[in-house]
Amino acid sequence: MTEVTLYHWEPNANSGKPMLALMEKGVPFASHYIDMLQFDQHKPEYLAINPQGTIPAMTHQGPLGTRVLTESTAIMEYVNAAFPGPDLMPADAQDRWRVRWWMKFMDQWLGPSFSMIGWSVFVGPMVRKRDPEELAAAIDRIPLPERRIAWRKAINGDFSASEMAESRRRVALGIARLEEELGKRDYVGSASYSLADINIFNSTYSLPLSQPDLASKDKTPNIMRWLKRVYERDAVKRTWAMGKTDLAARYSLVMEGIV
Amino acid sequence: MGAVLYHGEPNGASLTVLAALAESGLDIPCVRIDLLAGARHNLTGIAEPIALDLGIEGEGPVLVIGGEAMTESVFLAQYFDELAGGCGLQPADPYAHWDMLMWCRQITERLSPAAALLGNLASSQQGIAAIPADDFAALTASVVSDDLRARWQALHDDAIDAAQVADSHAKVDQAAARCEGKLADGREWLMGEFSIADLVTYGWLAGMEPIRPQAFVAAPLTCAWLARVAARPCVVSALALANCAEPLRSWAPGPEINRWG
Repeated sequence: MTEVTLYHWEPNANSGKPMLALMEKGVPFASHYIDMLQFDQHKPEYLAINPQGTIPAMTHQGPLGTRVLTESTAIMEYVNAAFPGPDLMPADAQDRWRVRWWMKFMDQWLGPSFSMIGWSVFVGPMVRKRDPEELAAAIDRIPLPERRIAWRKAINGDFSASEMAESRRRVALGIARLEEELGKRDYVGSASYSLADINIFNSTYSLPLSQPDLASKDKTPNIMRWLKRVYERDAVKRTWAMGKTDLAARYSLVMEGIV
Repeated sequence: MGAVLYHGEPNGASLTVLAALAESGLDIPCVRIDLLAGARHNLTGIAEPIALDLGIEGEGPVLVIGGEAMTESVFLAQYFDELAGGCGLQPADPYAHWDMLMWCRQITERLSPAAALLGNLASSQQGIAAIPADDFAALTASVVSDDLRARWQALHDDAIDAAQVADSHAKVDQAAARCEGKLADGREWLMGEFSIADLVTYGWLAGMEPIRPQAFVAAPLTCAWLARVAARPCVVSALALANCAEPLRSWAPGPEINRWG
């Protein structure tokens, strides 16, 4: 019996992190696809797993019962510590600190700006086509007030000009700093492939398509070399094959441009 | 290797890291700097500054090793624990470790921005507003992060949104309630065993007792736990590094309020 069940959306951003970590470790898992655009994450059957209604979530059945885990980066750390397989954290303590620092930088500073832009140009327009009453009811079911606000903004296109400008500033700065980092080391934060690479790859793989003015072979050669190195990993290819939307196809287009 | 820990008064992030260092037993020299004078942004000998330039935590401590500036109190506490070969600040069981990380993230993402805002309004804002214009311009010019500079400026200009204050009060109340719930089964420490979770929560919550007493009225277990943490030798030695009478009333601009969901 498979001990691990992962509840996830596309192999992208937060959902992609534990998918890729499990693949790298060679941990078999049951995949439970949650269609974010259909608000599956706010339906009672999923809220029974994660009452906060955020994706991804993971359950792990063991001798002490079923463990439920949430928050993508923390799930990855659990996966790395709980299962055999290649160690996805460097051995050196300062390298480990650096890996954690970059993950926090992505999760709490840069990532939200990527999200705001992504939601304004992709998620919002996708769900906006739906019946307004159905949408309003779906939003009312969201447990976390902050997420209700975020969804309303995305659906109504209510991001202010200053909010979007700040997100664009952070994205430009974050890309520039990541380029510098990958000029110092082969991987993010250390000389070996780690959870930081998985974390940041999942939010930056599409940069050559989404931010061509900021990220390209000419402008960010270190990032492009790193994207190629990560993309060529077998675990990445197998993870991307699990996608159900055209995100994976978009990724192939990216690779055609940089490989 | 030449490691130096630059820190402010033992409160908030500085208290967490000083106490973790004491618990680890590592011999790393500590240098107190005046955070409200912008000293953190004028450190010398830093070849790798990104964690200082773009730190999430605001005016927290900076560990400099081999020219690299290292920041973020939870990760510095983990670093000390791991460099010492495991001094007991992190659970060995992966699930208990996940639980601790989740707790710490709740504290650093939700409580610490709220506590920093309320603490600065209560004790630092007057001093920041009184900095002569030329000095303040020089101070803010040395802050690399645009968003941290904006938090300095907002305090200086008294441009704090009332809704943010109300939200911060609510977040302090929620943090105390979360502690009360966690301690309800009679446990001594938040995660069962003493851990980084106790240090980081104490660092941000202890200073809220005089500022937001309402949060603690229905939280006797939390008040007793705060007293137990205060009596831990590592916390006692961290607080002994204070250069003022009431370090828990010492605040500097902290993390930003979550700007997106």
